[in-house]
Amino acid sequence: MDDHLIQVFSNVGMISFIALSAYVLLLTGEISFGQQAFFAISAYASGIATAMWGWAFWPGLVWGAAVAGAAAFLLAWPTLRMRGLYFAIGTLAFAEMVRLIFEIFRYQVEIEGELVGPDGSEGFRGIRYIFESDISATQYMLIIYLLLSAVLAFLFAIERTRLGAIFRMLGEDELLAEMQGVNRTYYKVMATVIAGVIAGIGGALYAHMNTYIEPKIFNVMLGVHSLAYGLIGGLGTAFGPLIGVGLDIGLLESTRIFTGYRMVVFGGLVALLLIFRPRGLLDEAAVHAIKSLWRRFLPAAQTQRSNNRAPD
Amino acid sequence: MVDFIQNTLDGIFIGSSYALLAIGFTLIFGVMRRLNLSYGPSIMLGVFAGTLLYIQLNAGLLVVGLATVVGAVLAGLYVERICFWAVRRGAALASMVSSFAIWMQLEEAVTIVFPDRTYPFPPLADFTLKLGPFWVRGEHLIMFICASLLTILLHLLLYRTRFGLAIRAVSENPTAAKFMGINTGLVVMFAFALASVIGGVAGYLIASTDQQVTPLFGLWATFKGLIAMTLGGMGSIPGAIAGGLLLGVIEAQSVWYLGTEYRDLVAYAVLFAFLVFRPGGLFAQKSAMQSRLAARRV
Repeated sequence: MDDHLIQVFSNVGMISFIALSAYVLLLTGEISFGQQAFFAISAYASGIATAMWGWAFWPGLVWGAAVAGAAAFLLAWPTLRMRGLYFAIGTLAFAEMVRLIFEIFRYQVEIEGELVGPDGSEGFRGIRYIFESDISATQYMLIIYLLLSAVLAFLFAIERTRLGAIFRMLGEDELLAEMQGVNRTYYKVMATVIAGVIAGIGGALYAHMNTYIEPKIFNVMLGVHSLAYGLIGGLGTAFGPLIGVGLDIGLLESTRIFTGYRMVVFGGLVALLLIFRPRGLLDEAAVHAIKSLWRRFLPAAQTQRSNNRAPD
Repeated sequence: MVDFIQNTLDGIFIGSSYALLAIGFTLIFGVMRRLNLSYGPSIMLGVFAGTLLYIQLNAGLLVVGLATVVGAVLAGLYVERICFWAVRRGAALASMVSSFAIWMQLEEAVTIVFPDRTYPFPPLADFTLKLGPFWVRGEHLIMFICASLLTILLHLLLYRTRFGLAIRAVSENPTAAKFMGINTGLVVMFAFALASVIGGVAGYLIASTDQQVTPLFGLWATFKGLIAMTLGGMGSIPGAIAGGLLLGVIEAQSVWYLGTEYRDLVAYAVLFAFLVFRPGGLFAQKSAMQSRLAARRV
């Protein structure tokens, strides 16, 4: 694969984390404009760990994701009272506060004669762990997709258990769910923390791939985009957000077919898509239809196999 | 103390334009129960239409203002048709994301025609008044007077005409309004146009105070309007006015006492605190119905 393609795939992978993070909250019926905050928090925390404290990459990544999860846990409590539009605006306010704090956050140490660390709006240079450890771009892309598969596997596992049912139930009708004995507080906080950690993994990966981060990368546009990806791809399955990211970054931004007026095309396409499929390409009904098709063909294949084997 | 009052005055003057943006937002929210993220960008389109006439033809203030308002209304109706009228009922989330998609579209369309970072916009007035120990900039004074006049006109329109009654009926209860023979689709469209007129005037006032425009104006206007509306209470017009003025004062004070880099931080912190402790906004009780509706799953 050539360098450009590797770069594209890596970007698609990293942005997928934040799209999945918004998707987890969409499952529970909450629209968040603020998942970029956890992406940012983890990018900074893991960058500080590897570039300034001399940690290795993996502990740095775990630390970043953990800090993002902790921040999500703290945010979950005040936002529990907010619903619908209020939640969306509350998370927006939180994320902008985080970004503006990073604009004035300075914490630098001298390493080998040069200052390293976050320098307010000047950004945070020199997160060079990957570069210095001779990890190639291809290897790093594999790391990204390894982690992405792990997150996807986790989300599919959730979907098959009671937890997934509870998340979707809360998304459908909170009051009804509570009447069925669902502890709303517990599961809402849990969903927020899961979403925070997922965004955090992406943030740590982002910081180490780019070696340089600055607060304005993590602006509200990133958050609204990641929310939109889930809705374009569909809310029925965790593949939905990936389709959204793939369409936007993978196809339009990278192939440069529509250089200069990409958003005119993409914006129009999304608006048209939402007229015909208001819950995305792979919405719940589509996923259900695919699953039942699958089930209809799968038993047939199995019976055929057993029929073939019958003469033995 | 003199400083504090001076800041409050400045804040109120600037805040009057935020109040206009918030009124536009709240009108749309009132009749649709949906968030139009593309509100700011459609105003931006109008402002650039004004700039185009100013740069190309050196048009006068009145023509530029008219072009701004017409541009904003056309863009607003485009957004209404695609993101709200065409997206089926009950899919509020789809409408919101769709309005975001159209935002991206409008913003890029403007940057294709206007590739530079900033463009000049004709100033309204260039004088400064001295009232006792306080200074008042001419543009600010005109901004405040225009905003007040527009609010009074809007009040008359909403409370003294049949059209206003229809808008209020639809925002109170769309189903009941429909049963009473109101063409809700048409009312929604007119409310959008009305909000765009208000937005266009606000955009014109802001751009001529800044004497320049950038494609980032859309983002700025959407978020100022959104914050001011939320502070005041979603769907309430007195709330939008109070919220806009409050936002202006908060910004002016935090710039003076803490520094420019704290301005937005303080504004967002206040917004967050409001959402936690007083989610209905300043006029919580009056708009209890509205906030209940807003709290429903979007």
